[in-house]
This record gives sequence, C-alpha cells and structure tokens, in this order.
Amino acid sequence: MGQNILTTTLGKLIGWGRGNSVWPLQFGLACCAIEMIHTATASVDIARFGSEAMRASPRQSDMMIVSGRVSQKMAPILRTIYDQMPEPKWVISMGACASTGGVFNNYALLQGVDKIVPVDVYIPGCPPRPEDLLNALMILQERIKAQGITPRQ
Amino acid sequence: MADGPGQGVTDTDTTVIGQGVTVTRTGETGAFGGELLTINFGPHHPSTHGVLRLIVDLDGEQVKRIKPVIGYLHTGIEKQAEALRWQQAVVVTDRHDYLSPPINNLAYALAVERLMGVDVPPRAKVLRVIMSELTRLASHLVWLGTSGIELGASTMLMYCFRERDSILDMNEEISGYRMHTSYIRPGGVMADATPRFLDMLDKFIGVMPGHVDEYEDLLTMNPIWRSRTMGIGRLPAQDAKVLGASGPMLRGSGVAWDLRKQMPYSGYEDYEFEVATSDLCDCYGRYLVRIKEMRESVKILRQALDRLPDGPVNVDDRKMLPPPREELETSMEAVIHHFKLFTEGYSVPPGDVYQAVESGRGENGCYVVSDGTHKPRRVKFRAASFVNLQPLERMAMNHMIADMVAIIGTADTVLGDVDR
Amino acid sequence: MIAENLIVDRGVSAGDSWITVAGESAHEALSGLKEAGYQLLVFLTCVDHLADSSRHGGGAPRYELVYQLRNMDTLEQLRVRAFVDGDPPHVESVSDLFPPANWDERETYDMFGIVFENHPDLTRILMPDDWVGHPLRRDYPVGGEVVEFSEEHETWQTAPDKA
Repeated sequence: MGQNILTTTLGKLIGWGRGNSVWPLQFGLACCAIEMIHTATASVDIARFGSEAMRASPRQSDMMIVSGRVSQKMAPILRTIYDQMPEPKWVISMGACASTGGVFNNYALLQGVDKIVPVDVYIPGCPPRPEDLLNALMILQERIKAQGITPRQ
Repeated sequence: MADGPGQGVTDTDTTVIGQGVTVTRTGETGAFGGELLTINFGPHHPSTHGVLRLIVDLDGEQVKRIKPVIGYLHTGIEKQAEALRWQQAVVVTDRHDYLSPPINNLAYALAVERLMGVDVPPRAKVLRVIMSELTRLASHLVWLGTSGIELGASTMLMYCFRERDSILDMNEEISGYRMHTSYIRPGGVMADATPRFLDMLDKFIGVMPGHVDEYEDLLTMNPIWRSRTMGIGRLPAQDAKVLGASGPMLRGSGVAWDLRKQMPYSGYEDYEFEVATSDLCDCYGRYLVRIKEMRESVKILRQALDRLPDGPVNVDDRKMLPPPREELETSMEAVIHHFKLFTEGYSVPPGDVYQAVESGRGENGCYVVSDGTHKPRRVKFRAASFVNLQPLERMAMNHMIADMVAIIGTADTVLGDVDR
Repeated sequence: MIAENLIVDRGVSAGDSWITVAGESAHEALSGLKEAGYQLLVFLTCVDHLADSSRHGGGAPRYELVYQLRNMDTLEQLRVRAFVDGDPPHVESVSDLFPPANWDERETYDMFGIVFENHPDLTRILMPDDWVGHPLRRDYPVGGEVVEFSEEHETWQTAPDKA
C-alpha cells in the first residue's frame, strides 16, 4: 500500500495528541508568574510546545501551573479551581515556594502546594528561569505520551 | 460615563471617605429598577495583576460599590525577617514588591546603614543608582506589557518583555540572578560590575530610547487606547494627596512629588532628570507619566555610567562584611571576623529608622527597629501598592465593569507588596 | 501646634526625629500635628516589646504604636510613638484624620490585636477571617515546618520564652 499509511496503537495516538496540546491554566500568584509570562513571550515561546492557549478558565485547561507562594487564604481557592478542571489534568509546581514553601518557612504559607493537590512536576528555583518551565513541560509531555488512553493514576 | 459628583443627576448617594474625599453613586436603585448585582472579581483572574479580590456591586454594567479583599498573598515577610539575621533578611526584602527587588533591597540597606552609621563608597552609590533605574525600567515594562494586553494591545506584551529580557540578562550578569538579585546589601553591593555588564549597559542605553519611541508610536495616539484610558479612573490631585497616593498615581494628577528629588538618597541629588507629571488625572495621564519616567531613567543611567568612579564597592568594616578569602589563610583576626559574621552575624546598635525610596509604584519604605542584637526586632515595609489600592473605589465609581480592568492596571499594584 | 503637655519624651534616632505621647492622647496629638502641617500619614504600625523594656525605661507597656507623619511642603518628618498596654489594647482610631490609616489600622489589628475604637470596619485584612491569634506578636511562633538539623530546630514550633 505504500508510504502513506502509518500504523500505531490508539494509546500512542491519544498520548501524542494530549501531550502536544497541553493547555495551561495560568495560576500566577507571585514572582514566578512573571517568569511564566516570560515563557509565553517571543524569545522563549511556550506556544511552540502546544501551550499556546493559556486559559484563564479552569474548565478549558489541562494543566495547572502553580507559580508562586500559596497563602492560607488562597489555599481553598486553589483546591476549588483544581477541582473544577476536567480530567485528565496535571499540575506543575513552579518555583521553590509552590514546591516546598521556599524561603518562607512560616505560619502564612502552605509549605508546598502538594499538601492540597497532587503534583506531577516540581521546578526548583526562585524564580526558575523560563527555560526551566519549558523543561518541566517537556518532562510532563513525555509522561503524558507514555500514559496512553487512561489518565494518570 | 458619569464620573463623580455634580453631573446634574438626581437620586445620588454620597459616601464620605474622609477629609473631603467623597464618592458619589448616581442612583442606588438603578436603571433596571431593582437590586444591584454583586459579583466577585478575582482572586483568580487574568487581569487583576495578581491575587486581588474585588466584590463589586453592579447596576447593569455600572460599578456602584467596590470592596477590595486582600490577603491572598500574605507571606508573613515581616515575621520572617524577625527570625533571620540582619544580613539574611535582605533576601526576603526582594520578594514583597517582586517587580522591583533591588529597590526594596536599597530601602532596607539604607535603613540598616543609617542605624550602623556607615556610608558606602561612591562606586557603590552609583552602582545602586544603576540597578535602581534598571529595575524601574523593568517594572514599567511589565506594567506596560500587561496593561497593553489586558486592553487588547497584545503586541505590547511581546515588545516590552523583549526589553525586559535584556534587563534581566544584565541582572544575571552582575549578580547571578534574573529577578531576585539581593544585589544591594547593607554595607555596599554584592559584587563589582563586570566589564561585560558595563558593555551590555552601554548598548542597552543606546537602543532603549528607540524602543520607547516604538511603544509611543503604538499607543499614544492610538484611538482605541485613548478611548479606553482617557477620562477613566479620575483621581483629582487633592484626593490623591489626602488618600496618601504616591508615585505615578500622584504624579499623574499633577503633583510633582518624587522622593528622588524631594528627599534624595544614594547620590540622586547629583543627577539631572525631570519629574514626570501630567495634569490629566486619568489613566491616560498616568500612562504618559510612566512613559516619560522610562525616558528619564535612561537619562539617569547614561549619567551614572559616565560618572562611575573607581574604588571599592563595599564599606571597609570587618565587623559588617566578611574579609576576602585570601586573608583567611594568613590572618587570625580575619578568621574570627569571618566566623562571627557567618554564625552569629553583626549586631546593629539599638534605635529605629525609616527610610523611603522611590520605586516604580511610589514610596516604598522600610522601618527598622533594632534592639542591639543580631536579629531585627521589627521590620515594617511601607508598601506603595497597599496605599495606592485604597483610592480604587474613588477612581472606579460609576464606570463600566470593563473599565475596571483599565483602572486596576493603572494603579499598578503588586499584590506581593500589598499583602507582604 | 501640638500642646507641649502631651509630649512625654522626644529624641532623634539615626536622623529621624520622634516624640512619645501617651496612648490615650495619640488622637489629639496627631490632630494637632495635622493642623500644624503634617498632612500625610506615611504609615502606622506597631512594635511588640514583649520582654524588653529598655526603650521606655522599665516596667513598660508592651505595644508601641508608631505613626510616621510628613509635611509635604517643608519636607519635615516626625515619628509619633504611643505606648499602649492591655489585653487587647484599645486606642482611638485616626482614620478620620488620615484616610490611609484605615487599612493600616486593620492590618495592625490583624497582626497585633490592637483594637482601634471608632474605626469604620475593623476586621481582619491579611489573614483569613476565622484565623485565631495575632501573628506578629512576639509570643506567636514563626510556624511553618520544622527544619531538621538546624540550630533553631525547636524554636520554629514553640513560642520563644524570651522575645
């Protein structure tokens, strides 16, 4: 039949599709949000990895990038927004404050967003470079492509 | 759009905020003859410049009442600074107004130096001015980029962040960090400027005015930009003064108040620059003020680069700053100083001091109370954004909900500063 | 001008001039200063001197309210300090004189527990509404997670016995 036919598994196809079009939910909280904006601008350009549409609505996004420190008042709201996202969904915890509380080991901050939502990729840094966020996105993409049809456990 | 009192409408309801500042709503019951609709604006919102929550009462599309709710980014920075030593607390000062970290560092460093009674060498002063002005530019670029994209001019985001990338590259060259440099510390600066940094700065000063011209070409006479910002968010000069606004909020209402001129610090009295003001009192006026400030910052950078003197960048006080590593091999005293500084840290004489500096937003200040030990008793950050957020109700009353975005943008608040 | 009998103490600290007034007369003192030209309240805050009384000379009230005033025409600054005590301490609000004090007083109430009388809306502003305790007090622990192998291992979680 020639070279115009590809054979693959359904899982690989779906994984490839999901992975290459991860739409982030912009959850910019603090300083890391500025570096997240840098990732969306021309020199770093997250759009070439499929994340062109940085949605403001959780109903339309796949991945939540928690960029910045999560305070006690913000925590329930973050959980609510996470719950509003449809499956399959992933979370990238960007920066030291989101991953572990960062420089601030005190009463006011959640010591890591993984206390309330499950996190897939952690990015250290204060703030991490825009390229670090791209790296995290690529790691996540590998993981998504490997998962196939069923969403992550 | 109706704005403020005295528009010849009946059925008004006036609230006195205090000291002659009033907010008048035209018509409590509204055109639809019914109740006001209460909506929640934030805290997760793409256009609130951070986690700001506004509870807005609307009559159709018109804003009738605003209640800001803050605290969604409260980090306990002041409490954290009490638990850290004097030289460690510089690190948390970076992070409250996260768009201008070196300026926050400067306020803290100057306050501690005043208490210690030390004066930094001239080269350090000029380097501090260079970092402050670069940061002011970076901060205004974020404001312009995000305000642009919120009002529809999405090209602005790309252009402004391209310039900001050059500034962050310079930050990285001189301190190793793109954003939270902690470059300016009590006693001087972190490290000397490298020749590559001075080169990058020279090139940047050459191209930046052209870029500002580009932004003005895109926005200043643009009819869409003008109709979305002219007449919106009026804050008359008297109200701005009474409500304690500072920075472009105050200068955009015609009051020529700039701490770099009125209460200069770090050698600012030696530089020639103009204070940007505008008599328009609205969002467009503040836009013009910030553009002018960007140009003046480039002028100051040029003067600073030309007059950069040689010499040390840190005060020569072994009780405050560690000795160079080579000395540790030969001098016992150097080892003892090094040990004391890195285990206990230096102690600041008891007293209290308030040092204010002019950041991109206004008056950012640091009030430090020392009880003579190696940790601060109290560090209070006077946040420009905290005070600049209070006129929001005055500015937004009776405007449309879509104008709220323009008004929040013009206040240029950074929620890290508001909540600390 | 402010009546001399209200001033308990005065001085200069690192170039900043300050005066001390009694807690009850803070509102009157600030009102007088405002008429004298100090139209801008730059900030208002509180310092907690839990165990140390050296700044007030012995047996001191615990909380020191600090008001920084500025005269925008003559560029003079003045710091007004008022010591208050009590559980919770009560002080009259100055938000009627200076509108920026509105939020500053809410923050001071939230962080230190000082009750400002006649304040239009004295509620928590930075912490969640149902938070218990006043975080910036010196007997409130820093909180967060215990850091293993550090010198301050225990002190992160327990209140310090000497502030």
